[in-house]
Amino acid sequence: MENATRPFDKLLLVSLLCLLTVGMFMVYSASSALGEYVHNDAFYFLKRQLIFAGAGLAAMIAIARIDYWFWKRWSFVILIVCFFFLILVLIPGVGMVRGGARSWIGAGAFSIQPAEFMKLGMIIFLSQYLVRHQKRIPEFKRGMLPVLLLIFLAFALIMLQPDLGTGTVMAGACFVLLFVAGARIKHFFLLGGLGTAGFVGLILSAPYRIQRITSFIDPWSDPLGAGFQIIQSLYAVGPGGLFGLGFGDSRQKFYYLPEPQTDFIFAIIAEEFGFLGAGFVLVLFGVLLWRGVTTAMTAPDMYGALLATGICGVIFLQVLINIGVVTGLFPVTGITLPFLSYGGSSLTLLLAAAGVLLNITRHRTEYH
Amino acid sequence: MRVSFLTVRKRLFFVLVGGAVAIAILLFRLGFVQFSMGEWLTELAKDSWSRDVPFESERGEILDRNGEILATNISAPSVIAAPKQIENPEQSAAELAVTLGVSEDKAYGWLTKNESLVRLNPEGRKISKEKAKAVRDLDIEGIYIAEDNKRHYPKGTYLSHVLGFAGIDNQGLTGLEQYYDERLKGEAGRVSFFSDAKGQKLQGLADEYEQPEKGEDLRLTIDDRVQTIIERELDIAEATYNPDGALAIAMDPDSGEILGMSSRPDFNPDNFREIPAEVYNQNKPVWSTYEPGSTFKIITLAAALEEEKVDLENDHFNDPGYIEVNGTKLHCWKKGGHGEQTFLEVVQNSCNPGFVALGERLGTDTLFDYIDNFGFGKKTGVDLQGEGTGILFNRENVGPLELATTAFGQGVSVTPLQQVTAVSAAVNGGYLYQPYLAKEWLDPTTGMVKQSTPPKMKQRVISEQTSKEVRHALEYVVAKGTGKGAFVDGYRVGGKTGTAQKAEGGQYLENNHIVSFIGFAPANDPEIVVYTAIDNPKDTLQFGGIVAAPIVGNIIGDSLSAMGVEKQTNQLEKSLDWDDDVLTETPDVTGKNLKELHQAYYPFNIEKEGEGSVVVAQSPEPGEKIKEGGTIRLYLDDKSESSD
Repeated sequence: MENATRPFDKLLLVSLLCLLTVGMFMVYSASSALGEYVHNDAFYFLKRQLIFAGAGLAAMIAIARIDYWFWKRWSFVILIVCFFFLILVLIPGVGMVRGGARSWIGAGAFSIQPAEFMKLGMIIFLSQYLVRHQKRIPEFKRGMLPVLLLIFLAFALIMLQPDLGTGTVMAGACFVLLFVAGARIKHFFLLGGLGTAGFVGLILSAPYRIQRITSFIDPWSDPLGAGFQIIQSLYAVGPGGLFGLGFGDSRQKFYYLPEPQTDFIFAIIAEEFGFLGAGFVLVLFGVLLWRGVTTAMTAPDMYGALLATGICGVIFLQVLINIGVVTGLFPVTGITLPFLSYGGSSLTLLLAAAGVLLNITRHRTEYH
Repeated sequence: MRVSFLTVRKRLFFVLVGGAVAIAILLFRLGFVQFSMGEWLTELAKDSWSRDVPFESERGEILDRNGEILATNISAPSVIAAPKQIENPEQSAAELAVTLGVSEDKAYGWLTKNESLVRLNPEGRKISKEKAKAVRDLDIEGIYIAEDNKRHYPKGTYLSHVLGFAGIDNQGLTGLEQYYDERLKGEAGRVSFFSDAKGQKLQGLADEYEQPEKGEDLRLTIDDRVQTIIERELDIAEATYNPDGALAIAMDPDSGEILGMSSRPDFNPDNFREIPAEVYNQNKPVWSTYEPGSTFKIITLAAALEEEKVDLENDHFNDPGYIEVNGTKLHCWKKGGHGEQTFLEVVQNSCNPGFVALGERLGTDTLFDYIDNFGFGKKTGVDLQGEGTGILFNRENVGPLELATTAFGQGVSVTPLQQVTAVSAAVNGGYLYQPYLAKEWLDPTTGMVKQSTPPKMKQRVISEQTSKEVRHALEYVVAKGTGKGAFVDGYRVGGKTGTAQKAEGGQYLENNHIVSFIGFAPANDPEIVVYTAIDNPKDTLQFGGIVAAPIVGNIIGDSLSAMGVEKQTNQLEKSLDWDDDVLTETPDVTGKNLKELHQAYYPFNIEKEGEGSVVVAQSPEPGEKIKEGGTIRLYLDDKSESSD
């Protein structure tokens, strides 16, 4: 179709690299005590994160050079592979249990989370599907229903691990995609009702989820159990104040806040750099959102627009949920903060997705 | 396609707006947590980071009404270990073991305990200052010396039941120490250091020190001089009579302030661990209940006078030695009876049938109303734990016989403090006060009075006139009747004896009495009411007038003199029994020479001191009463020098 002639969207790239840099410093600060204690190396987690970031950046640069229609062509295969691994991970002996969920496949450092791949795989496939069946979208039976069934299947498989956080992000991003693709608003109301019912059902089916909800409403009702993480997170965020305690001066990272370099890295940012530092990170994510949505708006075709929308949806939903959890707005779910949290699987995949986004910016049309 | 793409862009715009709103909400929430909740969360977080080294507060001192120290504190530091901070537990344990005199294993156990702070119990707690300095000189990181102190009672067994004692954690366990523990104990202080979740010191946070707040000082109503006299008299009584127990109370009848209180057997609060619990738990003056015997007749007397049922001087009563009530003969304590007497003589003689007659004149309801109003059958409300209530007849079950025995103090059981409180009301003009010990609370640093307890008048029980008649009758008891043992030369003492049989399992015991006396002085305006009871005195006649009255007389005489109450000359003369010593006034012999003395034939022994021939001083002073055949000491000097 059109030629790849324009440069990458610079603001998008800059905000992303800024987040990545902040992430490196914060992973070091948050993990140095734990690294020293567990691995006798304060830089243990930083070194590994640098490797992941290197691999991720390489993937991003490479993927940014692949015209995004490539994904359209291979979308069905990608979906099938994702489903395959999602089923495979559920088999005891193949899938590894970490933190109470059978989410990991592979060995040691080379293990991956199939659900993370499914988040992107589903976006890639749905974008293609919705473009192809654009006319049927306003219909329920032939338009919405098959899509909903597909999302539900993937969601159900993820919930078998179980991983409510990743499942929610995946499904949420898909709904954003459906909304942008032109699905009828009344179908969303219907879905909203169904979704609420389903969510309540899920929560009632597993006692630990009830605990998470009640402990979220009043963490101090069970300060050493279900409320523990929220309380420890708030003990980091609250004392941060306006300017924070200073880089490296977090107290909560000293074994009070469990794994401060992953899901709760934003709490350490808020503690060490205060409202100004944490607010700056939020603004960076805001810039990323703005450039991401602009990318979707200026995409040369419907597929590009939907693909960009889905990727932004995944990133931004994770930001929303993660920071919501850290500040006590949402119950603890176990979602990483994109580009900042420590973790190979999450970082490399999101950087790769950013590569797709960057490629779409190269094909942008003028739009005002 | 173009139209549809417009829809997509429109919806993307919604998504952007929605995202921006979401970011704004997160920013708002972040600000809320960091600013609005920030201070509160910081406090909570500090609590979670801090490890406290407690500093015990000092208990407030307890003083007598004139500032004499009755309970105080002596410095006794404690050692506290923070095991996580001790780098070399083996070596530190070895050093510590030598200094504290414990086994190395025990010291090592302390220093490796999986706790953030370990008290070195008990060898490292409340140790001497010298030992604490030795531990500090070891200079071990993670070993702290906490300022600490322990309670000390400088006067030993003195006032022990009332003061009570405090335990190793400076907590009041009995007596006033327990009753006023909240105000005496103060507020513990602490040093907080901040620690990570694994017990290591957090860098960049300074230790916080919170000064302990000393407890308030308590000034009692107790008068050290009166208490000392009481303790002395009970010591003598114990040595003389070897009783099962003894007790005494002194009260200021015009306020209910307790001036002195003692109970035997007693104990030294510093060694309470070696004392049986029943000894320190039984503060007999407020705890024990028993038949009062004749001291209770004061209530019957007061009621009869107030109700104008009797004219003491003019009404007569014939006591044949018993009185018949409902077919039962109630005997007087004196075989053969007292014969024909005025009612004043009935009181003097403590004549039981006479009081039965008074009880009958009053009737059940009236007598019991007075008993009730005088505070019997319920707690006096004194500020001490474990007060007894006593037992009265249930009014519905009172027949003529119960009324009769109640009138002379049998078949009821009361506490000593109830009697003192009631008699105080009977002699002070008719005002029933609530007895109390805590006179004032003082600020421990400035010594200023923070709060003082005003006397609490509960109710008016009899009139001024009745009270005066009661005092008059009771003065007669001491001067002419059964209470002569309490007579004090120069102080108008009034009082009443009491001799009660002890009951055990519903049976009266033979030859086992609680003998008591309640007295007050001066009779025209009482400054002090004193009650003493001796439980089963040995080798003596068990009568209150013989055993208890002289003790009360001594306490009253010495106490009033110590309190600076002027002696009076217009007291009722004591009537003489055959065995009483004759008292005469000491003549003035100063200025006389030896020759004159020899010619005068004084009925005294004379002891001379000093060289010379002229008397310059004498003891006793002229005018003081002295026994016939007693000794007068004369100080002699030369005439020439004395006339210089």
